[in-house]
Amino acid sequence: MIKVAEESILNANIPDGPIESKWKTHKANIKLVSPANKRKYTVIVVGTGLAGGAAAASLGELGYNVLNFCIQDTPRRAHSVAAQGGINAAKNYQNDGDSVWRLFYDTVKGGDFRAREANVYRLAELSTNIIDQCAAQGVPFAREYGGTLANRSFGGAQVSRTFYARGQTGQQLLLGCYSSLMRQVDAGRVKLFTRREMLDLVLVDGAARGIVCRNLVTGAVESYAADAVLLATGGYSTVFFLSTNAVNCNVTAAWRCHKKGALFANPCYTQIHPTCIPLAGESQSKLTLMSESLRNDGRVWVPKKKGDTRPASEIPEGERDYFLERIYPAFGNLVPRDIASRAAKRMCDTGYGVGGTGYSVYLDFGDAIQRLGRDVVRDRYGNLFDMYHEITGESPYEMPMRIYPAPHYTMGGLWVDYNLMSNIPGLHVLGEANFSDHGANRLGASALMQGLADGYFVIPYTLGHYLAGSDVLKNKVTTDHPAFKASVAAVNEQTKRLVGARGKRTVRDFHWQLGRIMWDHVGMARNEKGLEGAIRDIRALREEFWRDVNVGGSDGDFNKNLEFAGRVADFMEQGELMALDALHRKESCGGHFREEFQTPEGEARRDDQNFCYVGAWQWSGNASEPVLHKEDLEFDYVHLAQRSYK
Amino acid sequence: MSKPCFLSSTIGRKVIAAISGLALVGFIVVHLAGNLTLLLPDGGAAFNAYAHKLASLGPLLWVARAGLLIFFLAHVLLAIGVRLDEKRARPDGYALKASKGGPSKQTLSSRSMLVTGLVILLFIPFHVWMFTLNKGTPHAMVEVHGTLVKDVYLAVVTAFKDPVKAWSYVAVMLLLGFHLRHGFWSAFQSLGVLRPKWTPALYTVAFVFAALMAVGFIALPVYMLYFGPNPETLRVAVAGH
Amino acid sequence: MKFNVKVWRQSGPNAKGGFKQYAVDGILPEMSLLEMLDVLNEQLTKQGEEPVAFDSDCREGICGTCGLVVDGMAHGSRLKCTTCELRMRHFVDGGTVTIEPFRAKSFPVIKDLVVDRGAFDRIMAAGGYVSVNAGSAPDANAVLVPKDIAEKAMDSAACIGCGACVAACPNASASLFVSAKITQFSLLPQGQAERERRALRMVGQMDQEGFGNCSNHAECEAACPKGISISNIATMRREYMRAARLHEERAEAGGGG
Repeated sequence: MIKVAEESILNANIPDGPIESKWKTHKANIKLVSPANKRKYTVIVVGTGLAGGAAAASLGELGYNVLNFCIQDTPRRAHSVAAQGGINAAKNYQNDGDSVWRLFYDTVKGGDFRAREANVYRLAELSTNIIDQCAAQGVPFAREYGGTLANRSFGGAQVSRTFYARGQTGQQLLLGCYSSLMRQVDAGRVKLFTRREMLDLVLVDGAARGIVCRNLVTGAVESYAADAVLLATGGYSTVFFLSTNAVNCNVTAAWRCHKKGALFANPCYTQIHPTCIPLAGESQSKLTLMSESLRNDGRVWVPKKKGDTRPASEIPEGERDYFLERIYPAFGNLVPRDIASRAAKRMCDTGYGVGGTGYSVYLDFGDAIQRLGRDVVRDRYGNLFDMYHEITGESPYEMPMRIYPAPHYTMGGLWVDYNLMSNIPGLHVLGEANFSDHGANRLGASALMQGLADGYFVIPYTLGHYLAGSDVLKNKVTTDHPAFKASVAAVNEQTKRLVGARGKRTVRDFHWQLGRIMWDHVGMARNEKGLEGAIRDIRALREEFWRDVNVGGSDGDFNKNLEFAGRVADFMEQGELMALDALHRKESCGGHFREEFQTPEGEARRDDQNFCYVGAWQWSGNASEPVLHKEDLEFDYVHLAQRSYK
Repeated sequence: MSKPCFLSSTIGRKVIAAISGLALVGFIVVHLAGNLTLLLPDGGAAFNAYAHKLASLGPLLWVARAGLLIFFLAHVLLAIGVRLDEKRARPDGYALKASKGGPSKQTLSSRSMLVTGLVILLFIPFHVWMFTLNKGTPHAMVEVHGTLVKDVYLAVVTAFKDPVKAWSYVAVMLLLGFHLRHGFWSAFQSLGVLRPKWTPALYTVAFVFAALMAVGFIALPVYMLYFGPNPETLRVAVAGH
Repeated sequence: MKFNVKVWRQSGPNAKGGFKQYAVDGILPEMSLLEMLDVLNEQLTKQGEEPVAFDSDCREGICGTCGLVVDGMAHGSRLKCTTCELRMRHFVDGGTVTIEPFRAKSFPVIKDLVVDRGAFDRIMAAGGYVSVNAGSAPDANAVLVPKDIAEKAMDSAACIGCGACVAACPNASASLFVSAKITQFSLLPQGQAERERRALRMVGQMDQEGFGNCSNHAECEAACPKGISISNIATMRREYMRAARLHEERAEAGGGG
């Protein structure tokens, strides 16, 4: 049952004035913390990816006393490391007509008009500073012979604005950020807490004043007090069990904040990446993404005959259905991610899929090899082909690749205002963990940009604004405060319950089943019946989980099953919220596709009349009865229009 | 920042090991060149002249010997240090150990540096005792270019007619080859002079160099054992001179 | 496929460890070694035994979290491959697979196959950075970097910090890891200002952490999943010698270090 709040508690705090000068005006008007006072403030940053690492480093540089937490053994392993393609910036180094305005426009349009204009504009504006900062850190970006930075066009953009470092842009940006962070660690301004998992947010007088986390090595439950808490804990694609995310990615930190009152916005907006290596068997632990650039020369097809089990080489040209080229003659194999993904799913659902599971389609380089020669194809895609060969044992030079879409990024996240602060005073949310900039769909090469913009260039200003305007200095709290005791007790209680369940089914087993439900009904294409079924199934599974989970081991030790059990427990609730959000949003937009709402051509059909808002959900104490708050979106600069890629 | 101590750093120690190693390589090359005169069919005249020349350097010889000894000690001590380091840095070893191949330069040669080095270390006193101090080998004087000099040639020829001594020499020199196979290349890498494209070339050069040194040094005892002049007749010839 | 898995079990940092053998069945050739361990762990959990603890995260060879010594080789027998990318098709069906943790005094075992590689972080903190505060950078194109220099720097920067170089080194030396970072910054104009300080401090920290010395076996390069060359180590030595010399000179000139 969905309850809609009588009165929305949301105020986005967007500064006045024309969009081009909002950030400038805001910076000029915000409150400042004096240099001498900064060290008196303790700030907790959870997460060490691009957003968290950049924030911790920058705040350390400013002189704050920073406590930085991560679940990995070192900050350098945060999942930002895995981003391949690149990072957008409106530098217009190519003189090809790019501008802050155009990046802003593309992002709003790409997000299918479900993002907040003011935030997106600021993101586009800051994108240029990010490249400067990263280059100065020694990030080895690709260069032209003259020594200037190289760019490429990415994800169908009409300008070349993507900066990259081979196929490891995320890694290089993260290492740059990590190096700045380690400099602050050396300087004593950032204290690092690795292998710690945040399990609760501590509120004192309604404001975020600390966290409780589990030391993943010793099992100890630890409390840390601060004057503000920054959450940069990434997205929740692993709710699907199989995704391109790292196996330790999770929603737990964000979800525990949600349960403490932070609103969770647009949970149903998830991005599916079309070119991933398909699932081989049930024991697979993750899906591997291959660069989208493969679709520049590869042709996607399935056999024209249902259930055709002949090997690809024995299927004559006339019996192949190049379905993307057939359905979308103008863009062909280069249609946007969501469209390509859904088309592939449709083909497989209707029985045309190939491979052992029937859940994959061919991506064929036969024509490209004939047209360009093997060497050119090797130059362009050699390492991707090698990677594919290594994983599947099949050579793409000899037989077509098989691909299938996989969950990749989540646009939804904790609701934040223009200052990146959630509705809980002091709790700020950065990067993929917040909902703010990508609307219903994220453009390629924009995730890295957002994480770094939030960390390097937004939070250093807006956090000071919050701190200077609050009375936290006068009301210092310590971990002796009863609120910490209560949190620790609650965390211990849950841990005991998990370890004590001693049921029959493993954590992985439950996660796998939840993932199936999510993928089948809350994945790339959704409908009312499926969503209602999924909600019922999740509720039943959640009950069974608490009754029959088998965690094993002890809570006073390194215990991977226990870590995962806590995360799966949260996904069991958050998955339902995703389904509820998807069910209530009776329109299709970006990464949210409702089969009932499509154009005759099968495109997403938005309903701007009724759904042009951010759907932010409040925890009511019962996972099945969240309360909806709406933040209306206004598009004063980019006019609402239907996407078309025909 | 505290003052860095170059010599006690791991890199400093590698650099010294490399420099001392290369100095010893230089000595070996000169030594072999001198020794090869043994193969000249001149009844040992050239070799004895070379030996006399060295002996007559006087104080300079002692400076050279002292230098050699310092390089030698430095090289040995550092090598033992690296080995002790190895034990300290990995107190619990692997149950299974294997080289991955590919670009790895881990070979029998690289793994046995300490053993081959220690054998050479033990060998040197014998060598010095036998040939430099001329103990256990016949004493005689011989005239070369009008000067009466010590007949080291006779000592060598006599010693190598003993198959045990000759084959012991062969064995040790084989180990020297093994030592040089990794050591020669490794010294350049330790000094940081290698560039990526030089590495494979120098690695091959090191093999050729080590092989040449080993073959050169092995050739002498083998030649003397099977083809060398009979020391009895040599002694007669000398006595009759 | 089925395997006899011989795996190192150690309940804690100070506990005595030992090998245990387990039989696993139903392994697909396209599964990774870690997925094989997942199967084993499911099996153990159901039997009420403690699962084998091991680290992993991205499972696509970029985060550097995983790292096991498989049949005596760091990350297994395949070149340029992490443990998470090591597929079971490269093993003999029915054979024994021996799995050990990375072993080095500076990488103490936490549990079973999990080790603490915090030493790498401390080395990075000692100087593996360019000191530039957010907001103070000049325009990115104001400093030109020739293409070949950028490419070389990228070769060194590709390090994922997994520690396989230490694990594979007969002496447990961290030279490849440290040299890759020193080399990357020594090549780039952005790294020049702190070039000497960085070399001295990072090498100093490396030595303090208790890693072994390098014997130029180059086993590290073979074990490196990113194929980082030992010529980085040669560069590090050059950089260190240069830094030590300049440091002396500056100290004499009264400039300090």
